[in-house]
Amino acid sequence: MELADRAVGFLLSFISLSIFTYYTFWVIIVPFVDSDNFIHKYFLPQEYAILIPVCAGVVLLCLLCMFVGFVMLKSKKKKA
Amino acid sequence: MKHVLKIFSLLVAISGLWIGLLQASIIPRSHTWLLPIYFIVSLGCYGLLMVGVGLMGFPTCPQEALLLQQDIAEAKYFLKQRGVDVDSE
Repeated sequence: MELADRAVGFLLSFISLSIFTYYTFWVIIVPFVDSDNFIHKYFLPQEYAILIPVCAGVVLLCLLCMFVGFVMLKSKKKKA
Repeated sequence: MKHVLKIFSLLVAISGLWIGLLQASIIPRSHTWLLPIYFIVSLGCYGLLMVGVGLMGFPTCPQEALLLQQDIAEAKYFLKQRGVDVDSE
């Protein structure tokens, strides 16, 4: 039981650290290197650095609103 | 109400700092435009990291679990003797 918890915790922290380092590289370091360096192969074009977090935030907000609406509808149906 | 005011004043201070950075061109312009999104993403990452670290160091207390099971069995027996049926599984 606690091994599964530790594995999930480790996976979460690994994902968060990798996202943080990738995003830091993308936003801060990549604009400073020259245009024909090899590093540009590993990173998507810079417009996606803004687009992907904004899209993820919008999707999160939509899911949150849907969840709240769903719970409200279910509680209203149970009362009626 | 006071907590909301604190958070709001913090947000206003940070946005003031950002606009000040925009006016005085210490950092190159493209970086300054990306700073708010970078901070939001890093804040989300930090929250996820704290959740992961907390999950990894969560104690299970096996002795307390055993004592708790004994307490539950004792309570069930006691209540069944008094006529209350709590064995609803």
